[in-house]
Amino acid sequence: MKGKGTVTPLSSVFSVEDTQKAAQRVHDTIAQKDLELERLLGFVADNTDLINLVGRLPDHLHHDIMVPFGKAAFFPGRLVHTNEFMVLLGEGYYAERTSKQTVDILNRRGKVLESQLDSLKAMVQDLKAEASFFNATASEAAEGLVEIMEDYEEESSSDRESALKQDSPKNSGTVITEHVDEDEEFARMMARMDELEKEEREAESQMSQSDENEEVQLGLHQLSDQKSLHGNLKTSGSQSRKSPQQTKDGIASNKDSFTDEPSCSGLETISADKLSHGNILARNVKSVAEKDFVSPVVENFQTVPSSRSQVPLESSKPKFEREKAFTGSIVEHADNLQIKSRERTTATSQSSASQVSKPVSRFKMQRK
Amino acid sequence: MESYRQQKIQKLEEFVDGRLKPDLVQTIAQRDKVFEKQKVFSDLRKNIENLEKNSVTSLRTMVNLGSEVYMQAEVPDTRRIFVDVGLGFHVEFTWSEALSYISQREEKLEREIEDYTNRIASIKSHIKMVCEGIRELLQLPAEKPVPELNF
Repeated sequence: MKGKGTVTPLSSVFSVEDTQKAAQRVHDTIAQKDLELERLLGFVADNTDLINLVGRLPDHLHHDIMVPFGKAAFFPGRLVHTNEFMVLLGEGYYAERTSKQTVDILNRRGKVLESQLDSLKAMVQDLKAEASFFNATASEAAEGLVEIMEDYEEESSSDRESALKQDSPKNSGTVITEHVDEDEEFARMMARMDELEKEEREAESQMSQSDENEEVQLGLHQLSDQKSLHGNLKTSGSQSRKSPQQTKDGIASNKDSFTDEPSCSGLETISADKLSHGNILARNVKSVAEKDFVSPVVENFQTVPSSRSQVPLESSKPKFEREKAFTGSIVEHADNLQIKSRERTTATSQSSASQVSKPVSRFKMQRK
Repeated sequence: MESYRQQKIQKLEEFVDGRLKPDLVQTIAQRDKVFEKQKVFSDLRKNIENLEKNSVTSLRTMVNLGSEVYMQAEVPDTRRIFVDVGLGFHVEFTWSEALSYISQREEKLEREIEDYTNRIASIKSHIKMVCEGIRELLQLPAEKPVPELNF
């Protein structure tokens, strides 16, 4: 499927040089802030030292010290009045305080410093996040990463067919029944279902009305198909062989009721959930068809349309697209798929066509 | 030829901006430091001369304990001064000894300042030379076409 899309190299949106310059600027700012941070840390350390000193000084009456005289000379002297401190409050105002009071003042100053430090650290964190983003963009742009935007487009019938036919041979061998690794497959498929659902929901808004109507009409059939498909999904992937009869039994049971899942009991709930999404899943299949997803789920989904395509070929061409909308599984393919390995040959589709006569009747019955 | 000239001009400009100007700035900064030291010593000398004049024996000062927290200090005997002689050493002086040492120190600083001034002058002259060279290179291509027109 060729979608109309735009391929924009990231380097055009964010030019390499600009991102690098921006990254450089942020780095510089970070360096500046780091310096500020160091200064503040120095102040905090000084403050703590001073608090200790002020606490210890009143222990003695006098302290022998070297009294500085200017910047280049000292006098030997003593510290007197060891409990009297003159603290600068700012703007030329001093306060004479005792040791304890000075310690209180210094503690309050310490708190102010800490709050400043915290705010600065927060700023540095933000800048670092910014820098990492810029770096990532710069490296991406330099590598030549390309942003691809595609509009969701309805598949044309021919495209669908070719895509399906390509995928149907893939499915050979996958739709085989055995309950080995059932649970793992089950979980895997569940996850895949969820993904597909999400995609469908997103794409659903873009879907045209006509398609939805078609889907609705054939919803019932899809449900049945899904049931059988679920059965296949659960058992697929193991790649071991089971008698086709079992699969056919599954089909027969599906024919009877929508809630019977003899081989895949666990999937009942799933299918119940999926009922509403049957239409969606069909579209999911289409969109998924082009993706390189080798999960048997997808392939199984697509086996149905492919086999379905065989049916309308014989019946009527106008119904062709409708048939392809079906996502039900084709257990009938089990026969063919067992024979063929995963080869992209049209032979499979052709051989399946030969066997279509049998499933056709079943489908027709289901349709009614 | 034009491009060659342009290249040369560019190189010269870069040389000026990249090497000569930063050199100039650095040298000026160093000379300022020496100026400051000189000022410190001259202040010290003035203070000692003051002490001597007033025969001050004891002092009461405020000592900065750090972060502008002051404490009273008493200097009982001011006659002994410990002066910083560099490399982390302080030498005990009497007033007169201190004064003589300080004057010697000041002379040394003067010589250093002179040395820095000379270097600054040479760097400035270098810059001027290069600028003149660039101007020459620029003017020549401009002048040539003019005389041709006058033909």
